[in-house]
Amino acid sequence: MIRSITTNCLLLLGFATLTAQTTSTFEDFNLPVDTFLNGSEGSGGFALDNAFLPNSYDQEYDSWVGWSISTTTDTQTPGFMNQYSAIPGSGYDGSDAYAVSYHFSHNTLELTGPAAGGVVEGCYITNGTYPYLSMLNGDGFAKKFGGETGDDPDFYLLTIKKYLNGELSTDSVDFYLADYRFEDNNQDYIVDEWTYLDLSVLGNADSLAFFLSSSDTNQFGINTPSYFCIDNLTTSDMVTSTTEVQPLISLMVFPNPAKDRLTIDWEDSQPAQFALLDSNGRRLRQFWVTSGQTQLNVQGLARGSYFLQRIDQLGWQAVRVVKN
Amino acid sequence: MLRLILCCSLSLLLPTRGFLQPDTTHLPTDTAIVLPQVMVEAGALNRKLTGSRIEQWDSTTLSPLKGNHLGDLLERESGIFIKSYGLGSSATTSIRGGNAGQTSVLWNGLPLQSPMLGQLDFSLLPIAFTDGISLQYGGSTAAWGSGAIGGVIGLQNKPDFDKNLILRTRTSVGSFGFFDQQLKLQLGQGAWRSITRVSYQQAENDFSYRIRPDLPSKEQSNAHVQQMGVLQEFYWRPTYQQQLSIRIWAQENQREIPPTTVQNQSEVFQADAFVRSAVHWKMVGERITWEARAGLFREKLDYQDDQILLRSFSQYWVGSTEVEGKWFISTSQVLHFGIGHTWMQADADAYNRLPEQHRTAPYLAFQQSLQRWKIQANLRQEMVDGNLIPLVPGLGIEGDILTWLKVGAKITRNYRLPSMNDLYWQPGGNPGLQPERGWSQEATLHLHQKQKKYRWRYSITGFNRKINNWILWSLRDDQPFWSANNIARVWSRGLEQRLSWNVETNDWQVALSGGYDYILSTNEVSHSNPRLEAGEQLIYTPKHQAFGKLDLHWKNLGLTYRHRFTGKVRAINTDYLPGYQVGFLMLNYAFDFSQWNAQLFFNLENVWNADYRVVERRPMPGRYFRTGIQFHFFKDNRLIH
Repeated sequence: MIRSITTNCLLLLGFATLTAQTTSTFEDFNLPVDTFLNGSEGSGGFALDNAFLPNSYDQEYDSWVGWSISTTTDTQTPGFMNQYSAIPGSGYDGSDAYAVSYHFSHNTLELTGPAAGGVVEGCYITNGTYPYLSMLNGDGFAKKFGGETGDDPDFYLLTIKKYLNGELSTDSVDFYLADYRFEDNNQDYIVDEWTYLDLSVLGNADSLAFFLSSSDTNQFGINTPSYFCIDNLTTSDMVTSTTEVQPLISLMVFPNPAKDRLTIDWEDSQPAQFALLDSNGRRLRQFWVTSGQTQLNVQGLARGSYFLQRIDQLGWQAVRVVKN
Repeated sequence: MLRLILCCSLSLLLPTRGFLQPDTTHLPTDTAIVLPQVMVEAGALNRKLTGSRIEQWDSTTLSPLKGNHLGDLLERESGIFIKSYGLGSSATTSIRGGNAGQTSVLWNGLPLQSPMLGQLDFSLLPIAFTDGISLQYGGSTAAWGSGAIGGVIGLQNKPDFDKNLILRTRTSVGSFGFFDQQLKLQLGQGAWRSITRVSYQQAENDFSYRIRPDLPSKEQSNAHVQQMGVLQEFYWRPTYQQQLSIRIWAQENQREIPPTTVQNQSEVFQADAFVRSAVHWKMVGERITWEARAGLFREKLDYQDDQILLRSFSQYWVGSTEVEGKWFISTSQVLHFGIGHTWMQADADAYNRLPEQHRTAPYLAFQQSLQRWKIQANLRQEMVDGNLIPLVPGLGIEGDILTWLKVGAKITRNYRLPSMNDLYWQPGGNPGLQPERGWSQEATLHLHQKQKKYRWRYSITGFNRKINNWILWSLRDDQPFWSANNIARVWSRGLEQRLSWNVETNDWQVALSGGYDYILSTNEVSHSNPRLEAGEQLIYTPKHQAFGKLDLHWKNLGLTYRHRFTGKVRAINTDYLPGYQVGFLMLNYAFDFSQWNAQLFFNLENVWNADYRVVERRPMPGRYFRTGIQFHFFKDNRLIH
């Protein structure tokens, strides 16, 4: 379903380690033009072959945070009703599909499969139409960048960090989606094209964390609409010894979404160690599961998305669970 | 038959009433005015809690401002802060550090606040549609119910049974395409009176403003407003002890909402429309006075922003009934009792249901007079959909210490019920919200002196109020959207001072008055989102406010000047919005004849051309004018020389 482009393949004899790069373009969601997926189908996110883009959709309030997949092309209409469009009017290089991020504090992107724990090479980034026009012209809540005089040193900054082993890195990659801090106002800009961002400097990662900050911020948070778009995510796929890749052992988790208790049905005869991670990759609990059914009390967890992860000498396996 | 002779025996508990007397002073000093044969009218607020500070404006005082709205009046004539988004835009109040939802507004005793927002837009209330306005400061929940925390504003309509015919027209034009036309026609014979009021106003509000002196000026755009309203009243007074009133108020308001100073353009349009119907019956007996009132209000709000393809429509119904009695047990004891029921239903795109609410509240007050002292206890028990709100008591006392010195004090419990939006708006409405509640105390000292030619008054009021469960929209850790929560605790306290001096000679009348308010209204709990620091002054709540008023009358010429200082306020996007001073000048000349008079007037607004903003990013106009003429024709005048 998801088209992957393997751009490089290196087999290291002796270490038996395979490194490749996979670029995910979101085209394989096969979305017709001017449509979007916002999680209303209850998927809890969007799986690429080497990444998982979490989404939290609230059926009761018809709202979402996290990621959406979009092919909308509207570059003219300002405002919330046009929240799924990228300002270039298409995906990178004229493609149809791209991903849209929207969040309050920060968003995450989980690396899965062979990319887990590996290096993210980079991705293309641009503004959504909604924040772009808001920064350009202002709206009922947010200011036009430059302010009343045109001289305000405004900025809209995307900061990307990584989680590795549950720890958030201090290193980061900064990308100004808009920058009005120049002495010469003619140099001020708002990004309106797909721009490649090299993320390899972050090194190995379990997940990426995206933070937005804006000069147009008040006590209620950022006024600038907290959206950005990405496309062509390139990951490095590292598999430690191809001979160690094992078929996934049957693992069932139900009910999902769960309210009070989550049942883990583990078929393997050997006990396995599991961890419960939050959507940022932070390890909340760690426990052993023996063959058969084990119940996990999730009553005290806040509503949202979590990952039930198994890591042992046999390999890596994760299931996304939702707490209602 | 009640026949009253006006003797200006104003209560000293109405400290500013003296500044705002009906303009009868231009009459010869040996003129007597025989008041019409009317029922005793209790004023716009008939449940004054003893010890409260009240300001009142009657129809004569309101006359020069007939082309304005309630927000304009309060900004110029009282000490309260009006949060105006600009000329023709919405305006709300902050009284004693409270928010807009903590001011209760009553139209002939019936609450006008939107049940959806819990507040009222004062720019939608034409002064021409009232005959009297009262402002009672401080908590009055025990008397008026939910929301009467910062203060209560009462609007009153009343007929003049002493005249069979009254025709008044008022036409004014002004800067920025302003045009205003008012009409009042009273007809009637014997026990009947009909009053028809028509109001029409429009303005382009396309004023120019400058961001900085070295930058080119900008012109306000998308700021057209149009307001049309009709108020029809019928009065039937079969005896001097009974009166039946029927009132129907229909109004339509259409306004464009201009862009902020950091927005290139706006296409926002808002239409508000309402029909308010009310019936009021009053009977004055030997020992007991009965009143019953009922109202049915329907209001619609249509908000459109073509630019962002947004259209939001909402409407609500409110039905209110109330019965009350006032039993004069003896010359020193009065028992006031009543019960009211309110039903409200709201409909909005953002509700996933058609929420309804029923509120029932019995009310009791007992007043005891002891020589120079008066003490009053109030009690109110409200039920919301069958659930009891905690009992709300109030206790007030006032007394004459000396002939020139009076004191008053009161303590009340207060509450405000969450609005429909707080409860049901999606996402974020929280049906589990508790009412805001707390206690308030105040004490007032009045000094006054009256000589033959002059009189002066001074009052100082100190107040203290704490409100718990203050409702704020906040971002909770477990929710990806903003929601209404009882997260704040606010402590408001302050001092209010008023001073007035009046002098009159044969030709001259001079009234000079002023006031200064120092108000601290601080949030007492720290929060991360919204970011609040404990001890921080609330936004749009000035610590310092002052005003000065001058009224000069020489024969038929009148000059009125109002000056207002508002201290800096904390704002949302900037730390502080600077303080400002604004002046308003009104000149008028009256032509008086036996059965009609005419008045030419010229108003200069923002006299000193101040560059100021009440709300950040919302520019205010510089100096501008309004001018016009008013005719007043009447029959059966009872003026006796």
